[in-house]
Amino acid sequence: MSRPGPSPASTAPEQAMLQVKDLVKAYRADGATSWAVRHVDLRVDRGEFVAIMGPSGAGKSTLLHLLGGLDRPDSGQIWLDGRRVDDLPESRWAVLRRRSIGFVFQFSNLVSNMTAADNVELPALLAGTPPRQARERREELLTELGLEHKARSTPAALSGGEQQRVALARALINEPSLLLADEPTGSLDSRNTRDVLRLLSRCHERGQTILLVTHDARVASTADRVISLFDGEIADDSAVSLPANGGGTVADVVQLKG
Amino acid sequence: MRAVLRWEFADLRAHRGQAALMVLVTAVITVSLILANALLQNAGNPWQRTFGQSNGAHLWLHVRPGVDTAPLARLDGVAAVAGPYRTAPSTLVRSAEKVPLELRAVGPALPKVSRPLMRSGRWLDPSVSNGVVLESSFARSMWAAAGDSVTVRGLDGATHTMRVLGVADTADQGAYPNWTPGLGWVLPSTLGRIEPDPSHTAQTVGLRLRDPATTDFTAQQAVTALGSDQVTMVSTWQQVRSSMNLDNRLLGLLLAVFGLVALLAAALAVAGAAGSRVLAQVRDIAMLKAVGFTPAQLVRMFLYEHSALAVVGIVLGTAAASGIGPLLPSPLGEAMTFWQAQPDHLGALLATGVGAVLTIALATALPAWRAGRVPAVPTVRADRPVRRMSLLARLALLLRLPPALVLGARDAFYRPLRAGLTIARLAIPMLMITVALGSWATLDGFRDHPERVGLAATLTAKPSGIDAASASRLLSRQAGVAAAYPGVELQALVPGQTTTITVRGLGTVARPYPFALAEGRGIQDTDEAVAGQGALDQMHVKVGQWVRVMTGGTPRILHIVGRSIEPDHNGEMLSVGMEALEGPVGLPQPQYYALVLRPGASPSGVRAGLLAASHNQLDVQLTTNPADQLGAVRGVVIGLVVVLALIGLAELVTATGSGLRDHIRDLAVLRAMGLTPRQVTAVIVTSTSLLTTVAVLAGTAVGVLVSDRLINLQGHASGVGAGIAQMPPLGTLLLAGTIAVVVAACVSVVPAARATRARVTTALSQF
Ligand SMILES: Nc1ncnc2c1ncn2[C@@H]1O[C@H](COP(=O)(O)OP(=O)(O)OP(=O)(O)O)[C@@H](O)[C@H]1O
Ligand SMILES: [Mg+2]
Repeated sequence: MSRPGPSPASTAPEQAMLQVKDLVKAYRADGATSWAVRHVDLRVDRGEFVAIMGPSGAGKSTLLHLLGGLDRPDSGQIWLDGRRVDDLPESRWAVLRRRSIGFVFQFSNLVSNMTAADNVELPALLAGTPPRQARERREELLTELGLEHKARSTPAALSGGEQQRVALARALINEPSLLLADEPTGSLDSRNTRDVLRLLSRCHERGQTILLVTHDARVASTADRVISLFDGEIADDSAVSLPANGGGTVADVVQLKG
Repeated sequence: MRAVLRWEFADLRAHRGQAALMVLVTAVITVSLILANALLQNAGNPWQRTFGQSNGAHLWLHVRPGVDTAPLARLDGVAAVAGPYRTAPSTLVRSAEKVPLELRAVGPALPKVSRPLMRSGRWLDPSVSNGVVLESSFARSMWAAAGDSVTVRGLDGATHTMRVLGVADTADQGAYPNWTPGLGWVLPSTLGRIEPDPSHTAQTVGLRLRDPATTDFTAQQAVTALGSDQVTMVSTWQQVRSSMNLDNRLLGLLLAVFGLVALLAAALAVAGAAGSRVLAQVRDIAMLKAVGFTPAQLVRMFLYEHSALAVVGIVLGTAAASGIGPLLPSPLGEAMTFWQAQPDHLGALLATGVGAVLTIALATALPAWRAGRVPAVPTVRADRPVRRMSLLARLALLLRLPPALVLGARDAFYRPLRAGLTIARLAIPMLMITVALGSWATLDGFRDHPERVGLAATLTAKPSGIDAASASRLLSRQAGVAAAYPGVELQALVPGQTTTITVRGLGTVARPYPFALAEGRGIQDTDEAVAGQGALDQMHVKVGQWVRVMTGGTPRILHIVGRSIEPDHNGEMLSVGMEALEGPVGLPQPQYYALVLRPGASPSGVRAGLLAASHNQLDVQLTTNPADQLGAVRGVVIGLVVVLALIGLAELVTATGSGLRDHIRDLAVLRAMGLTPRQVTAVIVTSTSLLTTVAVLAGTAVGVLVSDRLINLQGHASGVGAGIAQMPPLGTLLLAGTIAVVVAACVSVVPAARATRARVTTALSQF
């Protein structure tokens, strides 16, 4: 039972953390046009934990980039916290990201010439947090992710999984109201995946909204809702933990869990 | 802005090498600019050198005789006093001419302040009671050298034969004839004999000041202290300096162009370095944007960082130049020492520094702006479609060259846009070096082939006291004189023009003077004329047109058949054959003869012969060659070439670095494929050398064209006329190009070897 766009455009999207209408993004390369995101409508409520799944090349990363203002849609609208943001200039987007969006990229996440500690503290300092507080918060986050001994390492000296966890810590240091994470558990073993999920669920409990791209059904199962993206379109949007099963019956299960 | 600082420090720490290179390049450019400036000041400003060496006085007062000048020494700001010296006016009698000469009574010991600098001969000596030391510009103008005798007439009309003991430079007064009277030093007793009446003498006092800026104020105080009616004349160092400095439009233009060229090249180098750093950090910049840096913040970050590096470099460079500069070997060290002694040198230093910082900030602006425009999505570089192998690579393959060469050739032009940019950046310093060499060759042309720039006659002889017939007889008999062309100069009115123009009759229609013709042909008829560029501009005419001029009340209509190169009088010279100036009383009497010498004849020998044969009734003068004045440019050209070479080197280092970063991954793949480290190094060296070769060829070709245009443009603007530009000798160009390519190959070996040492896995995981 796939759900269409949640509400007509006229509805005031107040309580929604994120609302997207008719979002389109195409890439033109070598004359051919590839539609990475086509006509996506989406509504994410405050405090929701949404997992996005889909095959490789489905447009998951592209969608996340658009939602974070890192890339511009060809058409469509985005509301963030009730505010229309798709037409904001880049500098306003930057301030928005600094304050209320945490972003974890799929690949290469860290500023290469800064230590892990500096990478994590950077957004906090940018947002005006006093250095001491930033440091405490960073220590806390890195410890939680089992990286306290890697604080002084440079990204080049970190493994892929360590880099991903540092990136997550960096995304969370300002306690953003929205976390956009592109496969944060992509290169992690099960123990580290558990650490990451524990951290994410704590964020969830605190009321932060989370959009998480993942290929891992187990990770997706911790979400409130799973969106399946296929060829740039939302193929399925349901409150189920295992999209492979499909169907609407599992929604009740999740509701029970919630 | 803690976050910004945190990033800046991390970035600088991570790119220590690049930052150090940037600082070094800026420092070297600063040092070069300062040294060039000093050289230029020193060469273009003879006053400064003389003033420094002679421990000169800033302020000179001519005071009535008998006035007590002691209060001057007690004035505020006066460091030392020269004199008072007794002076007497006199005239130096030379054939028919009388030239004003001021004699100054100085003791047999050289004064400490404002000490005359002996150029030749020796200082005054009590044993030679009729000895005189002449100021050098005056001596040159009078053709007087140490050992000569000169006739000096006092106010009372008595003549005295005096021995020139020596010739000396001084900064007490300007160069003769800009500054009259001329200056001669004599012993007090000699002065007493030439001017026995003390009331006809005066006193001269020089004041050396602690702070040259207070000159005007001290002058007022001095006049007040002595009484304004007691002071007959005041002269300041500024007046002396401006009268001594070269007044040459050509020189000014050349120097201005050179200065701008050097700064432009420096800006390009910095922009290139900054640009390649931005390129190297695209992914980090994307990351910074993702965590919330605004584009404006990023632009500022880059601007600040590079400006800060520039400031460090400039401060270091300035310190190095100021500290080590004076210790350098002769021309440089000397120039620095004197420049530093110059009163306004700190201002010039500051201006150089501020100018350089601004230029660098400006040059960084574009790369910084690009940093702001980097997309926020980190692009994992998509593998670009494999291009067809470049022509060069295929050729190399065809010739069965080693694989490293083939790969290097392919590598060089793999990214055509990047290769084009690198070539352009390397070509620009080469272009400028070619222009500099062209200026040098032009100067050589002035010196070696004066006849090609309108200076066929080496000497001019003016009859004074003998008639034209005997003068020309004397000249025709003199060995070494190939031809003597009679000349006469008249002022002519051009109808419709407010100014007059000089019409010169030189040579005859039958035996025309060898004008250096840049356009048209020579004079073949009595109504034909050739004109300098200045004259053409003044009359608004072109070669081939007819002009009407009025000379001595006679209207003449002249056909301008050619344009001659005229290095003198701003080219405002209309030349005709003597017959064209025939008036009601026949041909005009020649005012002078232009003497073309036989090859190898010594001008001074011919001159001496003529003086002797005519019993000094021929006044023989050497024609001034602008190349002698432009000699100052040579130092600047050398300095400029050095600066440009350094800039080129910096560009080369940047280009190699960024090229390497571009395909460090490809290199890792190559090594993974089984190329030996030496082969990998060869690939890089080949690639760099190829790019440099193309750049050298392009830069030289364009440089030759530009240099020709630029010099002729300067020639045109100065009235001399286009047609003076010379191409740099092929050998020099070849040498410069070869050096550039060899240096490029050497420079690329170091980073290539480093890249080769890098672990394959590290290189691969970087992307
Ligand atoms: N910069 C780009 N230029 C051209 N095409 C692009 C670009 N980025 C993405 N695409 C194309 O857009 C489509 C969606 O890409 P996207 O990265 O969003 O996929 P994804 O769902 O994240 O895949 P994966 O699971 O492999 O990360 C793909 O077909 C991809 O080739
Ligand atoms: Mg993706």
